[in-house]
Amino acid sequence: MIARMRPGQQHFKRRWRVAVMALGLLLSACGVNNVVVEGNFPTPNIARLPLTVAVYYDDALRDYAYVEYSETGQEEYNIESGISHIRLFDAVLPAMFDNVVLINDLEEAAQLGVDAVFAPAIEEFQLALPAKTKLDVYEVWIKYNMRLLTSEGDYIADWVLTSYGKTPTSTFGSVEAGINDAAIVALRDLASSFSLSFGQVPEVRDWLSARGIRS
Amino acid sequence: MNAMMKSVFAKFAAVMVLVLLASCTSTTVDEFRRAETGIESHESVVILGRRQASDYETRSEFVKCVGERMTRGDNAIAVVPEQEFIDAMFPWFEPRTAPLRTQDLEQLMVEDVVAAKMNEFGIRYIVWVDGFTETTDRAGSISCTIGPGGGGCFGFGTWEDDANFDARVWDVGTLTNVGTINTDATGQSYLPALVVPIPLIARVEANACNRLAAQLKQFVNGS
Repeated sequence: MIARMRPGQQHFKRRWRVAVMALGLLLSACGVNNVVVEGNFPTPNIARLPLTVAVYYDDALRDYAYVEYSETGQEEYNIESGISHIRLFDAVLPAMFDNVVLINDLEEAAQLGVDAVFAPAIEEFQLALPAKTKLDVYEVWIKYNMRLLTSEGDYIADWVLTSYGKTPTSTFGSVEAGINDAAIVALRDLASSFSLSFGQVPEVRDWLSARGIRS
Repeated sequence: MNAMMKSVFAKFAAVMVLVLLASCTSTTVDEFRRAETGIESHESVVILGRRQASDYETRSEFVKCVGERMTRGDNAIAVVPEQEFIDAMFPWFEPRTAPLRTQDLEQLMVEDVVAAKMNEFGIRYIVWVDGFTETTDRAGSISCTIGPGGGGCFGFGTWEDDANFDARVWDVGTLTNVGTINTDATGQSYLPALVVPIPLIARVEANACNRLAAQLKQFVNGS
């Protein structure tokens, strides 16, 4: 004999399912949204400098993450861009110098006898979301401290570089995709300004000139 | 009751037909030619969007649409995809570094690698597309409700879209601006809702794309 539910029981079960679904939806709206910036970067078409350069990515760069807060002070988006920055420099630096070597600490550079050590650092990250600015674009600003050192760790040049990226909103696009696209545009902007302006930084220009290299 | 329902439906259908006919787009194209043009079968065109403005950006979908339309039909032209060109030319055509005037292009072409890449693609003309679609004159309202017995929307909404785009054509051979084409498409969209919303969207950007692409094709071919 098949047991059948009474109408009252069926109605209760249906309401319970709706309540569980609504609770699930509510919970999914809470909590921080994670964005891991991902993208591909083309190799710059520029003349290489005849140098062997070691590159050092410290932990602050590798693990860099920016947290965007809502107007009520709650964490809204956690944007991880460390890995994408490393991918960017890995694409750009070999196109700028004859040889590029990755080092895990600054002491290694003296042993390798490289011409210079490049150690980039992210100083600041800013994000503008359409929901807050009332514009139809996502915007990312990043401020960098670029450091060039000798293999012994002495200072050659230390300069600030900023990059900017924006991307328009799209009808069916997610906020996370908009943030990622704007961040990638900002990273490409960094690559273009860094690769083209490297030899124009006064201390770098003087250092290259002393080595008989025209920038 | 049946007759009443039929009468309501007939009136609704009549209103829909009127609205459908009214939600069209009007497009104006202006061309200003500064020099003669023409293109060989082995040469190509690249269409790039201007992205230097702070408050808007020329959408890559529109640029892609124009490029695709130019490769179709009679007197089709070979068009290099925008992203492929920008990536191949990196970092010379990024928003920060892209040439703003033909004099800047002249300086850029001094770089051997840039000149070599242009030659490799067979680029004869660079077309810079600049513009955006703006929504104005919103009116009406729609309210939707849902209850145990079902749900639906009731109301009426309307808005006007204006797609205004400029296309500047640079001749890579002579390093000059050979002309400008402006396209302005406006259209009224409607969203009546009788239980179910019925969108009647004026396809202004699609019309602007088609007209601009057709005019560019004619212009580049020298006719």
